[in-house]
Amino acid sequence: MADSLAPACTPLKQEYDSCFNMWFESYLEPTLTNASESQRKAHYARKAEEFEAKCGKVYAEYQSCLHGAVKEKGIEPLLQQAREEHPLREPLPPASPPKTK
Amino acid sequence: MKFFSQSHFYDDPWSIVTLAFFLRYPNPYASHVLSCDVVSRSFSPSGTLLTTRLILKRGAMPRWFPKGIITRAESWVVEETEVDPFGRIVSCKTRNLDHVKIMQVEETVVFKSLPDGTTLQHTEARVRSGFGWGLTKRIEAHGLNKFKANMQRSREGVSLVLQLLRQSRLQPMAIGGPENSLIFPAVSSPPTVQFELSETTPRAQNSWSSRLKAWLRRD
Repeated sequence: MADSLAPACTPLKQEYDSCFNMWFESYLEPTLTNASESQRKAHYARKAEEFEAKCGKVYAEYQSCLHGAVKEKGIEPLLQQAREEHPLREPLPPASPPKTK
Repeated sequence: MKFFSQSHFYDDPWSIVTLAFFLRYPNPYASHVLSCDVVSRSFSPSGTLLTTRLILKRGAMPRWFPKGIITRAESWVVEETEVDPFGRIVSCKTRNLDHVKIMQVEETVVFKSLPDGTTLQHTEARVRSGFGWGLTKRIEAHGLNKFKANMQRSREGVSLVLQLLRQSRLQPMAIGGPENSLIFPAVSSPPTVQFELSETTPRAQNSWSSRLKAWLRRD
């Protein structure tokens, strides 16, 4: 599993990844292939609940660690700026930011 | 703007290819991937899984590129995926967050289950530069060539992870466990992708930015 952008968060990230990977395998393979709408909903509801129960706590801890690191490293403004300059929209953003020309 | 697209087939079923795609970092073909974090993971109203990852990649500037413009040959990349286990399709869109005026690469990848049990990967890339100074076309051509070369490596990385997954499934221990995690000397780079599904289009609009925004505003 890849490292976190913040070395201090890597152990939490890896713990979370392990939990997620186990869960993900079962999410990917619903036992019913021709599921009805209600069966799909039931599968999704069960999986969401299971994810929260098994991985919810470590996910929250990992996100809390990561969030602090992003602020500390000053990546936040970059993300904000990128979002403002290139809001992702369909089909594609303009070739260059309109405000520069 | 330069455009590129290519299809590739995996003999393996969709679920294992999808798993390999999510697990592809680290791998020896992706040593330029320095970090990979999940910044958002949620379920769409219909129940599909939405993931936004923030990836730091190391790059190298071509020798002909003017010196002093880029002081840090690293790039933040955002990767957004949607997994639909009933439709058996994954769509993934990736693009760089910084150096975007010099070059923006947007990649969309779709993994789709085929009736014969194999998996189709369709990749599209758009490379555009707003740099000017007579270098725009050269930068775009360079970006596209790099993309093609990297795509090959990325695919080799996914194939290697697939192989490990196949082996691990012959054993009782699941992959991803602490003692059995994929052990590689280095990190990997994912393909970036964008794909437009008619039914997901309204949701796809701004989903990346709104998820990132929500994440940034936390606490």
